[in-house]
Amino acid sequence: MPEHAEDEAKYYDDPEWADIEPIQQADQGPNPLAAIAYTDEYAEAMAYLRAVMARDEKSERVLRLTKDVIEMNPAHYTVWLYRAQVLFATHADLHKELEWLNETASQYQKNYQIWHHRQLIVSRLCPDPASSAAARGPPFPGAGIDVDSLVAKETSFVASMFDKDAKNYHVWSYRQWLVRHFGLWDKGELEFTEASIEKDVRNNSAWNHRWYVVNGKEGSEGVKEEKVREREIAFTKRQIRLAPQNQSPWNYLRGVLRKANLRFSTVQDFCVEFADLSKPEGDDVFSSHALDLLADIYAVDEGRNEQAKRCLLLLKDKYDPIRANYWQYRLEMLDREMGSGIDSHLPEHETRNLTSAVSV
Amino acid sequence: MTLAFFTISALDLLSSLVPNTTPEERAAYIDWIYSCQIPSGGFRASPSHDLSAVKDGSAQWDPANVPATYFALATLLILGDDLNRVRRKETLKWLRCMQRDDGSFGETLVNGKIEGGMDTRFGYCATCVRYILRGKREGRDPTSEEQDIDVDALVECLRKAETYDGGMSEMPFHEAHAGFTYCAIAALHFIDRFPWPICSQPSEGQRAFNKMPLRKEDIVSTTSSEQQGGRKTCGLTSPNLTIHWLASRLTATISIEDEEDTYADETDTPETCHDAHSFVHTANFPTSMGETSEKSRPSSHFALDWVGFNGRCNKVADTCYAFWVGAGLTLMNASRVVHPTPVRRYLLEQTAHIVGGFGKLPGDPPDVYHSYLGLAALSLLETAAQAAHESPREGLRKPMEERELKALDACMCVSIEAKSRLYAIWQRWGVHDGKDRDGGG
Repeated sequence: MPEHAEDEAKYYDDPEWADIEPIQQADQGPNPLAAIAYTDEYAEAMAYLRAVMARDEKSERVLRLTKDVIEMNPAHYTVWLYRAQVLFATHADLHKELEWLNETASQYQKNYQIWHHRQLIVSRLCPDPASSAAARGPPFPGAGIDVDSLVAKETSFVASMFDKDAKNYHVWSYRQWLVRHFGLWDKGELEFTEASIEKDVRNNSAWNHRWYVVNGKEGSEGVKEEKVREREIAFTKRQIRLAPQNQSPWNYLRGVLRKANLRFSTVQDFCVEFADLSKPEGDDVFSSHALDLLADIYAVDEGRNEQAKRCLLLLKDKYDPIRANYWQYRLEMLDREMGSGIDSHLPEHETRNLTSAVSV
Repeated sequence: MTLAFFTISALDLLSSLVPNTTPEERAAYIDWIYSCQIPSGGFRASPSHDLSAVKDGSAQWDPANVPATYFALATLLILGDDLNRVRRKETLKWLRCMQRDDGSFGETLVNGKIEGGMDTRFGYCATCVRYILRGKREGRDPTSEEQDIDVDALVECLRKAETYDGGMSEMPFHEAHAGFTYCAIAALHFIDRFPWPICSQPSEGQRAFNKMPLRKEDIVSTTSSEQQGGRKTCGLTSPNLTIHWLASRLTATISIEDEEDTYADETDTPETCHDAHSFVHTANFPTSMGETSEKSRPSSHFALDWVGFNGRCNKVADTCYAFWVGAGLTLMNASRVVHPTPVRRYLLEQTAHIVGGFGKLPGDPPDVYHSYLGLAALSLLETAAQAAHESPREGLRKPMEERELKALDACMCVSIEAKSRLYAIWQRWGVHDGKDRDGGG
């Protein structure tokens, strides 16, 4: 029995747990590494957890115990899995589980397990959304889950998490899963990315989600389709004009051009709006990313190597000195005639037939 | 096991492990690690999961853990253990079971199902374990008689994690992230599918790959293990784009206040421009605030005294990314892309804590994770600075300053000294590896 004051023992004194012999942590020897000074509470809960895990017990009391352990150590790598199995085996109310997850989410925002657990629960509630279509509408006894209601609750919850941290990696990953699992491609996701970008044009996660919504659906051509491409390029240019030094839309623009197999030079005039090196009174640069893209555009064309060099020198010495060594590296590559700094496009008939780095 | 690794490896980098511990203590640490070994292969992450003493008990909730196995083996090497007690055959067999059909690796095996994430961290840990136990050579391992992991599937999985802007993400279409990017690059080194040489002629170095099925002609370059013959598909379809992405992680936005200020700041100038916000050309958009700040423009790049790394575009710098990005660039043969001095100053003057160690952001209390990675990053910066001094391009012949930290192997994230103990162990096991070109030096 762990050493603690009598009134602190939660499980040892609980008659409900009288049949369980707690398993103390194995003796770690005289010089354990990274010995953790567990609280008595945690040590006791863990001793009982080990005991029920050893029997692979699946019961309601285990749900209370696992909740206890999770609240003290949400990063425990098996307790979530165990809890999920117990939830399913005891036919627990999964809606209540989601409610609990909602409450505790703000504490565990950056914890991978909680999001995976949520995904398991939602999958279990609705394993095959397509076939649950017949159950759409208010639920009735014996019917399937109300898919629309579940989706609405989940997307609303996700949106509330973004209010706390608009760039939470796990939440965006979970949202991608929701889109794929429930087929939400045309159900307001594009508008959601637009709203997120409007809120913060520098939210790179929102830009990434937009790329996913536009290009990620299986079988979809994404920006290879002309109408989609034109729409995306127009949208991106608008956002660049709002904040020319924001790198997110520039990366997005490059990505669109590469996937659509268009030459970077198609946006040359647009770049010059933000980096005009032709003015007699000197260079007029609003955006280092425009200069970067111009360097690539000019580098492809041997006759304009000197202009490419000028762009890189301006970046190195004036407009992006934080990355001076990188621009120097690009200049060296240019000198060695290794082609452009980063993969620019050549027409299809040439040997370099570049597709997007995202090969799916 | 994670904490054990960070602590021991940090002490090792500081050359403080041996002076501050007795041989008996180090032997006890080694015993402790082995007490976490699972008989069927692999290591558990912590004694708190240990159910081995339970007679007739269910072992399914005490599974071996992929990252823990990497940390365990790495720590054993640092402590000078000869890996004699490692269940090599069982671990290699278990490792194969940890790979899914799509090529990704998971964290644990519970009830025959691979659990845990599917991102490059597990691929990194798995390929490092494989490397430690059998080197880089592919195929059936004659010394243990164990089959190999599916290297091709892993490469395909890593390629699918490439994003539209050159980084690598957790899963296809997720956002590019420096941690996942490093893990992917290092994993490719461990399995010898890194696209050497970087920046060769475009027709060889940058040829893209089509969608499935992979074609034999889709090579990027030869591998270092020539005895394998044939040509193999490599990861990183656009190495230069990846270098561009990594280089873009350098940032002067090093505190949360910076991140907030720069959101609405009109005072930006070319000299002080943070990458996080627009520098407004005041002539075109004149406002009184802009005019005032135009007049008070500083004349030097004061904001560039301290330079950190972020993990994703438009985010604040975090100590740990100095390693993830710095090591990533080192493994891309592009460490010269970073000027070491302001990064060193950022680490030592901004995120280093007064009581010791490093925190995530300036002013944050230190933790073991950021402290270790801060040291690892500093070690790589020392190596880079020494290389710059020796470079004939510099036109200098400065005497090599004595290192403050042991040289780090950028791939395995342990000291080169610790890693080099592997070679004698491999000899004993009969593991033959080709010329080691994993960019660790």
